[in-house]
Amino acid sequence: MNEELDSQLSAMFDDELPAAECELLARRLSRDEQLKARWGRYAAIGATIRAERGVRLNGALAWKVNAAILAEPALGATAAPQRAPGSGGWRWRQGVAGVAVAAGVAAVSILWLRGQAPLPTVAVAARQALPPQVLAATPAALSSTAGPPGSYVVPRTPAVRPVVVPITELANYVVAHSAVSSPVARRNLLSAFMTSEAGAAGTEEPLEAARSNAQ
Amino acid sequence: MGADASDLSLVRRVQRGDKGAFDALVLKYQHKLVKLVMRYVRNPAEAEDIAQEAFIKAYRALPQFRGDSAFYTWLYRIAINTAKNAVVSRDRSPVEYDLDRKSEESYDMQGRMKDSETPEALVLTDEIRAIVNSAIDALPEDLRTAIVLRELDGLSYEEIAAAMDCPVGTVRSRIFRAREAIDQRLREVFEGGLGRAEELG
Repeated sequence: MNEELDSQLSAMFDDELPAAECELLARRLSRDEQLKARWGRYAAIGATIRAERGVRLNGALAWKVNAAILAEPALGATAAPQRAPGSGGWRWRQGVAGVAVAAGVAAVSILWLRGQAPLPTVAVAARQALPPQVLAATPAALSSTAGPPGSYVVPRTPAVRPVVVPITELANYVVAHSAVSSPVARRNLLSAFMTSEAGAAGTEEPLEAARSNAQ
Repeated sequence: MGADASDLSLVRRVQRGDKGAFDALVLKYQHKLVKLVMRYVRNPAEAEDIAQEAFIKAYRALPQFRGDSAFYTWLYRIAINTAKNAVVSRDRSPVEYDLDRKSEESYDMQGRMKDSETPEALVLTDEIRAIVNSAIDALPEDLRTAIVLRELDGLSYEEIAAAMDCPVGTVRSRIFRAREAIDQRLREVFEGGLGRAEELG
């Protein structure tokens, strides 16, 4: 053991060591078991000189207190609650509950706004970043997506009218057979075709094509 | 040297979460505290229990300790209150209520305590005392005077320096050398046989 260190320990035990040195030695003393045992023997020597009873070398009392303290929480972590005994725990819980309620309200608000807004903020920002031609080509692509900026958004396929293949075939069929069919039969067929075309498809385009083809 | 700087540095460490520093405070004051509590209870085992309770109370209350008074003074008050509460709750009469602290320091409990201590404890205590006394007797005069003035009379290094007509540094050195000589004798006799390690084992 370093003699200078032991000399400092002896002076510290007597409260005769400068405060700055005490800080350093206290740090070492709290960790060094050999130094602590020596410190304990210094105390026992003093107690013996003063004829105090029950002097032990690192006796049972110190061991019991040490065991009890080890089971206690470290003071650095619990200093704040101990300053206000009884009310500290309640204040802590109140704080956590407040934060939880605020977070819940914020989450509900965000979800509600998302449901209400036609274009989410992120989508608007992404849309503003796109060149005009891209915007024109995909008008509906960004309206229903809310991906983060920089992520790839699969554009929705634009609504395309269904191609009514059977009606076209029927029109072709009518044109192809017009040469061999009688005028009355051809008119009846065309009339029936037009009726079914208007009711089933509801569109004018194939009807127009059929008419022009038939004529 | 600030008054109580040594205890205060340990206290600050405990307040920052260093439990080992509190162990050093317990080791330093355990004998004083037991002696103090024995003014209120006859049984040494009970006195140790009360002292233990006082130490644990002190540890829990340490965040409120601001260093306005010396640590031992603060600990002393806690121990006194703990002892009084223990006496009241157990409906026992205190042994000596009228002793003030000054008289307590010089009061010899030896005669009153002997019949209530265990034989093992007595042997151990007597053995330690015999070793320490013989080691003190073997010390050179200047070392013996310095350690006795410090431990028995409680003089500061400055007061001892004045009494012995020597520098304070010499007093510090003499007290350290006296302690080392006594400690050397204790370790020779009790090496590996006593202390916390044996109690744990």
